Amino acid sequence: MKANRMIWILLLPAAVLASGCSSIGVKPWQHDLLAREDMRLTNDSLDTAIDDHLYFSKEASSGGRSFAGGGCGCN
Amino acid sequence: MQLKPRVRRPAGPDMRRRLMAASCALLGASSARSQAVAGSGPAPNTWSIDTALAYYHEDGRIQAIEPVVNVLKDFGDGETVGLNLTFDALSGSSPNGALPSRSVQTFASPSGKNLTDPSKLYTTAPGQLPVDPHYHDQRLAGALNWQLPLTRVTQATLGGKMSYEHDFFSVSGNVSIAEDFNEKNTTLSLGVNDEYDTLHPIGGTPVAGSDYTLFEKTAGKTKNGAGVLLGVTQVMSRRWLSEFNLSADRFTGYLNDPYKIISIIDAAGNTTGYEYERRPDERTRKSAYLENRVGWDRASAGLSLRYMTDDWQIHSETAQLHLRWWIDSQDKYFEPSLRWYRQTAADFYSPWISAANQNSTAYASSDSRLGAFHALTFGLKYGEKLADQGNSAGGEFSARIEYYQQVTDGHFDAPGSLQGLDLVPGLKAILLQIGWRF
Repeated sequence: MKANRMIWILLLPAAVLASGCSSIGVKPWQHDLLAREDMRLTNDSLDTAIDDHLYFSKEASSGGRSFAGGGCGCN
Repeated sequence: MQLKPRVRRPAGPDMRRRLMAASCALLGASSARSQAVAGSGPAPNTWSIDTALAYYHEDGRIQAIEPVVNVLKDFGDGETVGLNLTFDALSGSSPNGALPSRSVQTFASPSGKNLTDPSKLYTTAPGQLPVDPHYHDQRLAGALNWQLPLTRVTQATLGGKMSYEHDFFSVSGNVSIAEDFNEKNTTLSLGVNDEYDTLHPIGGTPVAGSDYTLFEKTAGKTKNGAGVLLGVTQVMSRRWLSEFNLSADRFTGYLNDPYKIISIIDAAGNTTGYEYERRPDERTRKSAYLENRVGWDRASAGLSLRYMTDDWQIHSETAQLHLRWWIDSQDKYFEPSLRWYRQTAADFYSPWISAANQNSTAYASSDSRLGAFHALTFGLKYGEKLADQGNSAGGEFSARIEYYQQVTDGHFDAPGSLQGLDLVPGLKAILLQIGWRF
């Protein structure tokens, strides 16, 4: 049940994205805030890479944001 | 990355060019994301370098030091080439998978061939978690990423990665294509990835499920992986950017940890022996990932959610929140973060094998990373913009600290003398990192 609920929580925004793409968004001259460094979806690739390697080595899940490597993680 | 954010400064052509370059810096990543925001104007012929030094320390176990460098060359017109180099040096004590016991336990290091050579042995005191106290490893990893525009609204990304350890080698490649729609408010991306790994464990590859005391070992092993990722990035409003990804991957081959064993326990709680762990030789994972960014004049927030499931019956949920506050004319910032993670156990996970069921066990692993647990990460980062340097967009110094705590879930009915022992202890770790961009 919990898993299904989580899937719906994730899928609902996706459905909104898919159905409303043509009516949402901004004009090119309205990108001031969106163009800011801290508004990038991954705003610090080194931090992300270091964290992802830590979690990959200590947890059973990885990826989602981008491809997950198989890796060794033998420690 | 090489930007100097000024909230009130309009994003002119030069700013957009710099942002384009910065957005390409996710080295080794596979999907060409957030083109909708990056813009597509011609880019200058620039270099940017991003470096970091991280120190990781687990309470009573592993410690690691990791220097990393990203180099990005921007050729203009949206074409970039990025190179990432990472080095890890790990040392300390690594759990070998065996259970604590009321008696002294003796083990051989991975290079040992018997339990009689004192120079290859280590012991674990009663009540303590067995760990190999001489663990050490080094890893050198590199990634190359080439991003190129195919049309005004279509972008391709080619990437490759390699990772080398003295007992492990991995090479992978990925291809992604991204298409902008709706005045670049929407970006759809599709990527595929392929990976090939070889393992040459110290002392040989143990036969899965074999008696630990027989030291049955064979030559090196391989595993293969392939994955696909489908993503959509959507500008929701002037302040809100959203991304949703669906991904799946499948790995086949040798998926064991060659250094992990599992204890065999009788009804009285005595350890009667050990076996090498044995996992299935294939694994398929699927995940859904949602990330949102919301910005204000002097702050921004990022929230990501991930659900993952696999055919080992592991299900996990992850939620991560970042908040950034700009201070001092947007030249300095603080960024606290919180991450929550929970996973269920693999269907073959067990802290021990019952002696009565020893011969009927198909797959078994006591690797706590396959068990049920939840984890919390608390983080704080400080960043300070540095003065512009010539034609570059200025650099940044940053420092951050993270505290990670893993707590075992579930209850284990320990037999006999094992009652009262902490059989599956959690994990506490701290990460310190400094970074410099220029």
